[in-house]
Amino acid sequence: MQIKRIRLKNELILGRIWAIPSLRVGFIMLLALLILAVLAPAIVPYDPTVLNADILSPPSSQYLLGTDQYGRDMLSRILYGARTSLVIGFLAAGLSGVIGIAIGAASGYFGGKVDKALTFVINIFDMTPVFFLILIVIALFSSSITNVAIVIGLTTWTANARLMRAETVSLKSRIFVQAAITTGEGRWRILLRHIIPNGIYPVIINTASNISAAILTEAGLSFIHLGDANVISWGQIVADGRTQLAGGWWISTFGGLAIVITALTFFLIGDGLNRFMTPKLQK
Amino acid sequence: MAMGKYLAKRLLICFLAVILSVFINFVLVRVAPGDPISIMAGMDNPNPEMIEALTEKYGLDQPILTQFGIYLHNLLKGDLGYSYRSNLPVMSIIGERLGPTLLISLTSAILAAVIGVALGLRAARKRDSKFDKVFCITSYILDAMPPFWLALMLMLLFATVLGWLPTAGMVDARANYTGFARTLDILYHMILPVLCVTLLQIPTFFRIMRSSVLQALGEEYITLYRAAGMPQKTIFRKYVMKNALLPTVTMFGMTLTYSLAGVALVEIVFAWPGIGRLLLDSINGRDYSVLSGIYLMLSIAIAVITTLLDAIYAWLDPRIWLK
Repeated sequence: MQIKRIRLKNELILGRIWAIPSLRVGFIMLLALLILAVLAPAIVPYDPTVLNADILSPPSSQYLLGTDQYGRDMLSRILYGARTSLVIGFLAAGLSGVIGIAIGAASGYFGGKVDKALTFVINIFDMTPVFFLILIVIALFSSSITNVAIVIGLTTWTANARLMRAETVSLKSRIFVQAAITTGEGRWRILLRHIIPNGIYPVIINTASNISAAILTEAGLSFIHLGDANVISWGQIVADGRTQLAGGWWISTFGGLAIVITALTFFLIGDGLNRFMTPKLQK
Repeated sequence: MAMGKYLAKRLLICFLAVILSVFINFVLVRVAPGDPISIMAGMDNPNPEMIEALTEKYGLDQPILTQFGIYLHNLLKGDLGYSYRSNLPVMSIIGERLGPTLLISLTSAILAAVIGVALGLRAARKRDSKFDKVFCITSYILDAMPPFWLALMLMLLFATVLGWLPTAGMVDARANYTGFARTLDILYHMILPVLCVTLLQIPTFFRIMRSSVLQALGEEYITLYRAAGMPQKTIFRKYVMKNALLPTVTMFGMTLTYSLAGVALVEIVFAWPGIGRLLLDSINGRDYSVLSGIYLMLSIAIAVITTLLDAIYAWLDPRIWLK
């Protein structure tokens, strides 16, 4: 008779994570991205700013992804670009998440006038052309990485706020929250200890796509030369390659492919998390 | 609440959204590093006459509230300021660029809606089939593409390598066509930009349609009709489609809003004479009046269109205001 090993709780969770294909692939890709980005300075074959003698050479064994019109190695530039994109993605989405959670929770929990006012704000914000607002702000203020991340974060929080608000409203009527209110727990304590930790899951899922969106927005900004000029960014690489489309297709192509792969990674993770958190009932 | 009250509420939000944009515009110039005069003049050392003219026009030496009043007054007159680069009123510059942009935006939005809805419907009917899986994956990949990159790749493929389609512009500058020939020329130049923007918008409609059809199919009354023997086709046509199309209407408005950035970027790549190019030139030339004018116009356009779509949605689905 075989005795089955008792599976630990963590194992079960990991098992469920692994079972969802999009989550599995997404996490693996994310891991690869993070490793490449963090180790970039150590593993790049060439210095990304150095102008080698081989201008505009196609992908070869010497330059795996070719060089651009200034002789810079594309692979190195793309690896460095990963750092910019990931930093902005995480910062912007993080800020957007924090603001969204704060506004959503306040709106849902306090209800009444506060709710009406905040919902108004959310609706109004949704109607503004966000990209152009970001454009103007960056054009007027500086275009540093942190600035770009902050501006994107400040303008993309509405979806998170809506999600958090919905969760808060539904959590407010749950027994454990009612119990906390009855026993006289302070409002802020309830918010911070009960509501937010339990209602945060849809926001987490949304944050994954927010990261993708932030990366795509930043790429767009760098493409029109509104990004940080001091760092290497994928959007910039694509812009560099635009004038060389006929004789140097690899510049724009690989620059953009990097963006696509990264955005896909976070989409997959978001989709996978979604499936993870809402297991389908067996029919 | 009555439909009138619901619409009034949406109109109020629309109005406030525009006010917010106006306010943001006003505040940004005055808060940004550097003084408002240089920003509005677009150069670092404007000559004394220019300083005087600007100060007088915008009341920069007066208290803030008065300035805001003057600003609003100018806006209501339709005066968005002057572009220092071309010495033309901003309103007319933007006006002549708006047409081409709308041409691409609306054409793509409609095409994407039609195609996306059709594909989404089919994918939901044959859930988890190869069709469904292939298109779900395709829609993810398309969503992950930056607009300017897809535009460049399409240009690379169809214009540079294959030579089938033109790389830039709205018309052949050398040919000077008129009348019907000109229309054909414009259509010919329109193919790549519209293809690009449509491809970028299809995933949104696909996903919304697919998920709302799936949701509608799960409703109890559908099961009832099936049990009663109603043919699947009738169920789809009469009940599922109508209900599933509702979120699509909402999405149409939101897509127009979100896709503006993409349209601008695609226009820049294809040198299409629309808002996108204007944007780029203004950024490079530090022409703030034009930038703020564009932002304002777009805010108003979006607010109006969104409210219109809300009204249509309210007419289509009384449940939203019968809460």
